[in-house]
Amino acid sequence: MIKEDFSIKLAGPAGMGIKSGGQLFSKFFQSLGFYFHDYTEYPSLVRGGHNTYQATYGYQKVHAPHQKIDYFFSLKPGHCRQHQNEFHPNTLVFSDKKNPVSKGKFINLPLSQLSSQAGNPLSANIICFGIIAFLLNQDKSQATSLISKVFSKNTKTNLIAFDIGYIYAQQNLKQYQQTLKIPKQANQAKAQSSAGGRLTSFNDGNQAFAYGFLQGKGNFYAAYPMTPSSGTLHFLASRAKDYNITVVHPEDEIATASLSAGAAFAGARSAVGTSGGGFALMNETVSFCGMSEIGMLYYLVSRPGPATGMPTWTSQSDLLYAIFSGHGEFPKVVIAPGDQQESFDFANIGLNLADQLQTPIIVLSDKFIAESSASTTDLSKEKVIVNRGKILNSVTKNFKRYNWITRSGVSPRCLPGTTNGQFLANSSEHNQFGFSSDDSIVAVKMQQKRAKKLKTAKILAPKPRLFGNKQADSLIISWGSNKGIILEALKKLDNFAFLQIRTLWPLHDSIKKTIKKYKKTIIIENSQTSRLGFLLKSLFSFSPTATILKFNGRPFFPEELIKKLK
Amino acid sequence: MKNQIYNYKSKVVPTWCPGCPNFLLLTGLQQAFAKLKIPNHNIVVVSDIGCAGNISNFLNTYRIHSLHGRAIPTAIGVKLANPKLTVVVVVGDGGAYGEGLNHLITAVRANYDIKVFVANNHLYSLTTGQASPTTKTGTKTKSTPFGYALKPIDPVPLLKNVNSSILVENVDSKNPSKLFKKITKTLKHQGFALLDISQVCLSFGN
Repeated sequence: MIKEDFSIKLAGPAGMGIKSGGQLFSKFFQSLGFYFHDYTEYPSLVRGGHNTYQATYGYQKVHAPHQKIDYFFSLKPGHCRQHQNEFHPNTLVFSDKKNPVSKGKFINLPLSQLSSQAGNPLSANIICFGIIAFLLNQDKSQATSLISKVFSKNTKTNLIAFDIGYIYAQQNLKQYQQTLKIPKQANQAKAQSSAGGRLTSFNDGNQAFAYGFLQGKGNFYAAYPMTPSSGTLHFLASRAKDYNITVVHPEDEIATASLSAGAAFAGARSAVGTSGGGFALMNETVSFCGMSEIGMLYYLVSRPGPATGMPTWTSQSDLLYAIFSGHGEFPKVVIAPGDQQESFDFANIGLNLADQLQTPIIVLSDKFIAESSASTTDLSKEKVIVNRGKILNSVTKNFKRYNWITRSGVSPRCLPGTTNGQFLANSSEHNQFGFSSDDSIVAVKMQQKRAKKLKTAKILAPKPRLFGNKQADSLIISWGSNKGIILEALKKLDNFAFLQIRTLWPLHDSIKKTIKKYKKTIIIENSQTSRLGFLLKSLFSFSPTATILKFNGRPFFPEELIKKLK
Repeated sequence: MKNQIYNYKSKVVPTWCPGCPNFLLLTGLQQAFAKLKIPNHNIVVVSDIGCAGNISNFLNTYRIHSLHGRAIPTAIGVKLANPKLTVVVVVGDGGAYGEGLNHLITAVRANYDIKVFVANNHLYSLTTGQASPTTKTGTKTKSTPFGYALKPIDPVPLLKNVNSSILVENVDSKNPSKLFKKITKTLKHQGFALLDISQVCLSFGN
């Protein structure tokens, strides 16, 4: 009987429906009331290669997928040996005979034969779904109704494939059948209703960000396709008409950012989406927004660099690049969501900060959050607070758009179309009206005015959060996508507190105080040189007791962290 | 009263060299705005960098003094966000046909409803006279002391070839009355319109 979390992984070449099949598994268990978190790996190609989908299902919130797999399916021969380290003695490893493994229980599964029986060489994923439904002793009707819902086009062939898998398991795999303890009825009810609760929705980080953008009244989104940020572009483009928003795919990233800046000037809640290489091209606009005090949002989904790097993998190495992007000195805010739910929250918070602070705001995510799905609330219905900052509806003549008598550093603006408000948003240094000026006093006063926004940002931007055993001696310090992995590891470790830094720039003053309270401090980061460590060292003269780094394009797994932290 | 020429003038005295053809462009735009009775608060002029780009300091409309080459995409953003605005771009030959050529071609392909005025003096002037994309082959400039080796861009046939439904014309600023007429015509056009204005730089031109 299965009473604890369990994990399933599918592997095979691209084009076999690894992700779509895997997501079917997850939707199924979610409908039974399980929490889940998935993770996909794929090379940057359209056919062939080696793709994987894995997910962990649990009775309590799953913050990150586990490394150890309970059910492994190789959809084509030759896709299981490289995963042997993820197997435990009882892992069921299904594959065609050609590649037996030394760990786990190898089970020969004639998938190519079963697929041709189903009349579709690409049906192996659904056949495996039938096998799992039988192995976990699940009601066929719930599984088949889900298939009809998910695959409305080829329902019939998929149902045949499901049956072939289910019957094959019934005849050949009976000894591996287990009973799955179904989560509490309450969870199930929540999962099946759309009334809210933690379980009702299935979102990856990109989609969650898109929902946050829509709920936050974002109405202008420009992006040039770049993995792993394109999911947001695709999703928003498909919803543009329903929500009456503008979604554009311009000729390059330079135009993308320029369009968005122009739209923000004209009054739009505007954002761009990209990854490191595209963000490099947008840098001049980051600087332009800083100077002309145009508030817009940059959704930067990190992948390993430099240059093209590893497009479909994850990394946190762009932290300092995001913070120090753009030439010249100007205020900027960098916030980093830790999971899918925060991707939703930070889209709106980012738009709010852009309007409130009138300066570039960066939401720094990464592939692991952006392209992994997890149980979230129904984000299409979640309410957010929209703050448009200081916008004047009427102004008198000689309007000082850049009035430097301001405590927050922010001067009220008016939008084009407002009578008497004509002003110049200037990329050159300028006076209070916006007219170009290289007067020595004006230059200093204007820079000082803009710099004040950084103090205001510390009040407005998301504060750090402390998790785990706050009375412990040891403190884990991290940011971004490591949040979920650390929280998952902390389920097994009770002698650690965990500080999640949510605003990376400007750093909140409380961070220094929190860090000082602990005897041992450990920084965990998905980069080679600990970018956060560099920041804490230079700002707080702080050095951690230990640093745990990973930079092979893969996220940490909870098991890895538990081993290293013990 | 509201749409008199002076309503489109800022308090800043133009910083161009005496006799610069840009004065004609400035006056032409102000006259045309007044003639077409477009209220100054409903106009956004997005200017590029360089001598012509400084025009945003001398106008009293909403304005953006954008980055080099980026006036066109910035203007497109403004227009998409608020289509009620009249969106005008003032750019030099370097910004339009060099640094921003990709943006120009895309704007023409999309036929965005923006009006582009190119102050084309065949030279980079504010940077003291280097070759531009419209400099004649063989011309000696500071950056091409042995003669410019490239073929110049001829914007009218180039852009017509990309999208024949746009308005793209050339005018010589030596003929002010013709220039003023064409400025009005360009502003009145529905969809993308570009007026390429041939100028001579009095300080660095030949």
